[in-house]
Amino acid sequence: MAMKDNLDKVAEILRLQFKKGDLIIKEGDYGVSIYKILKGSVRITAQAGEGEVALATLGPGEVIGEMSFLSGKGERRSASARALEDLEMEVWHPARLAKEYEQMPAILKYITNQALVRLLKMNKVMSRLSATRQAREQTRKPMEPRDSQRLYYRKDIDQACTYRPITSSPKLCLAGRVKDLSFTGVAITVGAKNALKFPHELGDEFHISTALPNGKELDVTAKIINVRRDDKPGMLLMGMSFTNMSEEAKKTVGFFLLP
Amino acid sequence: MAINQLVYGYVANEENYPDKAVIIAEGAKGDWVYVVLEGQVKVKKTTPKGMVTIDTLKEGAIFGEMVLLEKADQMRTASIIAEGQVRVGVLDTERLVKDYESISPQLQGLICSLIGRLKETTTKVSMLAVDAE
Repeated sequence: MAMKDNLDKVAEILRLQFKKGDLIIKEGDYGVSIYKILKGSVRITAQAGEGEVALATLGPGEVIGEMSFLSGKGERRSASARALEDLEMEVWHPARLAKEYEQMPAILKYITNQALVRLLKMNKVMSRLSATRQAREQTRKPMEPRDSQRLYYRKDIDQACTYRPITSSPKLCLAGRVKDLSFTGVAITVGAKNALKFPHELGDEFHISTALPNGKELDVTAKIINVRRDDKPGMLLMGMSFTNMSEEAKKTVGFFLLP
Repeated sequence: MAINQLVYGYVANEENYPDKAVIIAEGAKGDWVYVVLEGQVKVKKTTPKGMVTIDTLKEGAIFGEMVLLEKADQMRTASIIAEGQVRVGVLDTERLVKDYESISPQLQGLICSLIGRLKETTTKVSMLAVDAE
């Protein structure tokens, strides 16, 4: 893409062309330009878990980049935009628009602001729901068919836990947090640096000890069925499937998961 | 959210609804824009697997605005249901449309795009939400 650096003529409307696959806006970047699609289409995506979720597909006449503009200066881009096909776009420099926006009837600002807040909320909900679905689809694979009907007995929790590779000395004690619990497994977050000292690979088995929110102690062994970077920097999120559960552990989990 | 004078200035009429009353029915036609004056309402959407609640709107929240800012003959994209006793204000649509037409095409495009995006995303969220339940 060829962006003309034309600071003297900020009010001028530039036309830009993008090739299929070009990234136009990157989530998390600072940026203020607003683009109108003249030809082609754009996919809007946001990070969700280890992947991304498509929020919208936009075509000619539609505008992108307006959210950072409306949220005020200094806002990061809340989503990415990528060219689905060769694109022709009009770039609006925000300076002139900002002035017009200031002079806009207050009721329209009020409505626009509300729409913006709702959209940001919906986008977040959407990323969260897709991440949950991704995680569930991954944990679903190794389960036996009859377990699938129990899929919904899964609770989000946030409890401190200790864990260690089953091959390690019983004295070893690594820290993590249990993020959710089901009949068949847990998701825990751990510091990525733990993985530097001890292997945290698919299939690796660990002892995990935690206390559930109802106060019951839980000791289980589980193996990693997926690992990915957590939303929090420096943390890993591991989906784990129970390998060996005592009758007592089964009871504890079952009782806790009762709807 | 407090209701400011600005919004009150646009209220042409007030309506009261009992608990669970349907204020706007998804799929119906209509071009009134409302503001919640007292109480709260639920935003619900129909999906192939049933109704899901997408959001709860409290005092000061505008709803029904999607119809206003889009091309004519648009259908309501979600249902609005009273949660408890609710008093809503019906906004002066004519004045709103006039205001909207007074702004530059670029700003119109911007608002229109925002509303369109909200609509599309809300639909997707309602699909995912039933899936997750």
